[in-house]
Amino acid sequence: MKQLLLAAALVFSAYTHAQDDLLSELDSTTVEDTYATAAFKGLQVVTLQSTKMPAQNEWYFVVSHRFGTVKNGIDEFFGLDAATTKIGGVYGITKWLSVSASRHTLLKVYEGSVKYRLARQSDAFPVDIVGYNTVDINTFLEKEDYPRIEFADRLTYISQLLISRKVSDNLSLELVPSYVHKNLYNPAIENDSQFALGAGGRMKLTKRLSLNLEYAHNFDKPDFYKNPLSVGLDIETGGHVFQLLFTNSQAMTEGGYLTNAAGDWGDGDFFFGFNLYRVF
Amino acid sequence: MERIFVTLLFLATSCLYAQKYTTKTGVVKFEASVPSFEEIAGENKTASAALDTATGDMAVLALMKGFRFKVALMEEHFNENYVESDKYPKATFKGKVTGLDVAKLTATGGSYTVSGDLTLHGKTKKVSDSAKISKSGDKIVVTGEFEVTPAEFDIEIPAVVSKKVADKVKITYSFTLAK
Repeated sequence: MKQLLLAAALVFSAYTHAQDDLLSELDSTTVEDTYATAAFKGLQVVTLQSTKMPAQNEWYFVVSHRFGTVKNGIDEFFGLDAATTKIGGVYGITKWLSVSASRHTLLKVYEGSVKYRLARQSDAFPVDIVGYNTVDINTFLEKEDYPRIEFADRLTYISQLLISRKVSDNLSLELVPSYVHKNLYNPAIENDSQFALGAGGRMKLTKRLSLNLEYAHNFDKPDFYKNPLSVGLDIETGGHVFQLLFTNSQAMTEGGYLTNAAGDWGDGDFFFGFNLYRVF
Repeated sequence: MERIFVTLLFLATSCLYAQKYTTKTGVVKFEASVPSFEEIAGENKTASAALDTATGDMAVLALMKGFRFKVALMEEHFNENYVESDKYPKATFKGKVTGLDVAKLTATGGSYTVSGDLTLHGKTKKVSDSAKISKSGDKIVVTGEFEVTPAEFDIEIPAVVSKKVADKVKITYSFTLAK
């Protein structure tokens, strides 16, 4: 009996030894990082900001154009003659905080903004949450036309929460509650404080091509302006991201985009444009 | 007598067991740079590795998201478009060191053939190279390098960047293993 027991014990011990696979042992002690990567490849979905943050010490050079309306056809070469430009830079101070500054030809706006990540999507948390605050300075208003204008009148403030979820490898969705406050506004057609809820998404068509769509509903907007609806195509070529797009809102500042969409998709009154990002 | 024999046998088995050297801070680098273009290289300093000096069995595991690049965007592209880290989070190696005799290891080290299966991006390939293995104190250091091609592992290099990515990817590794 003892002999038998001994034999059994030895066989068992040899057996467990053979099962002792070095790799599966390494595997069992390795902790994976489950953060979702690259919900969006561009810093913007189309015109709204995406939850993507620049990396620490990373510089982005941004050039964007919104042409004039395509409605006037060949006479204005589908809007080319009335093109507007945004030129600016974005800098990642840390991996969760970035600042940007830009100049827009439309209304001669200077724009400064700060973007900060509050939460990241992982196995433990369902969404990315990023805060985005912007100040626009309108330098188009001339002292000669508005003799009593003060600096504060030129300012517009925008606060947004960007909430996104990478639903699958190919699909990411975003919600953007936004609050816009204008120090100077035309009460006949506008409110000074407006709340808008934006929604957008990215659908990857191939590894380096995605179709983006976004819409914002402005709750405090009288009927004069439309809600912005934009569609874009992200093309990624290593160090660049190109975003080709069509939109019914020509302004590229959040303040203008969410509140002053003048085009009407139904009338064929929309704008062609693109965003170009170069990373340094 | 019998009891002593049994105890000895079990001791011998557990002794075999203890011939294992491991690390959690192994370094694995790869480089696919083409001269005069941007450097394409990643480094993982948290690879785990294990070496069983009794059998010569060796295993390595590196998480794809653990590779760091100089350019953050390159790291993002690497994870999302090239190795698809969400689908294939690990690279593993499982193989053998031929003729390893721990008693003969010196501080200056000698060359040994390491061969086995490298699994990456869901594909497994046989790789083999000459590794330098040395021992100082109670630490065994294994270093070496070998080359693979992205195509072997079904990693697609798009036409627009194919000139900037080398056909052969050089992989170097360095593990300082302790009991």
